[in-house]
Amino acid sequence: MGEVILACEGLKKRYGDLWVLKGIDFEIERGQTKVIIGPSGSGKSTFLRLMGLLEPPTEGKIYFEGKDVYGSGLDLNMLRAKIGFVFQEPSLFRHLTALGNVKLGPKVVLKMKDEEAERKAMDALKTVKLEEWAHHYPAQLSGGQQQRVGIARALAMDPDIILFDEPTASLDIELTWEVIDVMKDLARRGVTMLVVTHELGFAKEVADEILFMDDGRIIESGPPEELLKNPKTPRAREFLRRLIGGV
Amino acid sequence: MKTAAPLDPISFIISFVTEYYPFIIEGFLTTVEMTFLGLAGGFVLGILSALGDVYGTKLMKVIIAGYVEFFRGSPLIVQLLFFYFSIPALTGLNWDAFTAGAVTLMLNSGAYQKGYFKGAIEAVFKDQLMAAKSLGMTFRQTLTHVVLPQALRIVIPPWTNEYVSLGLSTSALIVLGIRELTNISKSIAAQTFRPLEVYLFASAIYFLWITISMKIFDWIYEKVKIPGLEVNI
Repeated sequence: MGEVILACEGLKKRYGDLWVLKGIDFEIERGQTKVIIGPSGSGKSTFLRLMGLLEPPTEGKIYFEGKDVYGSGLDLNMLRAKIGFVFQEPSLFRHLTALGNVKLGPKVVLKMKDEEAERKAMDALKTVKLEEWAHHYPAQLSGGQQQRVGIARALAMDPDIILFDEPTASLDIELTWEVIDVMKDLARRGVTMLVVTHELGFAKEVADEILFMDDGRIIESGPPEELLKNPKTPRAREFLRRLIGGV
Repeated sequence: MKTAAPLDPISFIISFVTEYYPFIIEGFLTTVEMTFLGLAGGFVLGILSALGDVYGTKLMKVIIAGYVEFFRGSPLIVQLLFFYFSIPALTGLNWDAFTAGAVTLMLNSGAYQKGYFKGAIEAVFKDQLMAAKSLGMTFRQTLTHVVLPQALRIVIPPWTNEYVSLGLSTSALIVLGIRELTNISKSIAAQTFRPLEVYLFASAIYFLWITISMKIFDWIYEKVKIPGLEVNI
């Protein structure tokens, strides 16, 4: 058993009268890749935002490296700096070049010197194979390139874990591949990843576990070969049949 | 200026400019000075009220709305008279026409600039704020490194309009007896009995000044422009 990086217990989230998350227990160890699938509206993105500490839970606890995040007066910004987040939309800072985007976190949050932050940023851009595009602005990059800059931006912070919220959902199929390839590469390098995606090929190849979410709960989980081939719950069976059948 | 036979307009303009140029320069400089004071004060007020309106509490929003409504919903001349005469009456504090005029212009311009800044701040989409948050940036770091560098670029074109509008509105300062370009022109016209030429000349000065200024702002905008950051607000 490796070290548990991020975990939660009885996690619930309510917006107005609507309970979007209805009680989730979850943990991920260093070096693992876990993939969340499930129909839209099942609470996947909300779950990820909560685990990224971007929104507080209504009930329940979140633990980062064993420490209760909201219960022990920790500096949330310092924790967020250790949890990378890649959004569905690339969400790049539009006034900065690719390099500027990746450099900003190390410089402003980690207080690195300019040359050091720049070296860090260039390394991250090399990892996503974009070093030649370092001096281009977001508007001059394709959707897939923008998303890879987003990944580099998270990587440059040396996070303990990176959360991906459907990073290819707004991309064409070919652009999807280039992003997925980068993510597979990261998983093989041992980066801890929690990924919401419907790219089952990715899940099959690199996931240690797949979690199936429906109606605010994780209703089934297991290794990819098991969950994808023999889903136990009718909801998961139905969902996978439609997803694979493309209906 | 007494002449036996009336001069043709061009000759007259040359002769009155030769005679009155120190006053014309004084008037023009006062106009420019008032414009810059109003814009600078309005810039600070405008950014602060825009930030308050976008990120502030309900109470702040209500106060800012009241301020903006008052200054956008009443004539500048009324505001000038109101502040010049009512502040001494209300507070016992005495201020000269120049200070009262400058403060009123600041408040007035701030109300308009607030609208432009608000649009520009809101043009920096929420997803970028979320991304900054995910990096662990504080609200202040996000403002400094993400929101303002974009908003200040986006705001330049509408801000140029405010410059033009305020610059020309300084002629309202005539009601406080401030010796700006319009007021000086009026005196010269009254002394020479040649309003046509004098006001024509004054208009030409305003026109040249505004046109050159706009060219300068266009140049600045081009200079700091970033591909893909052109947003119409």
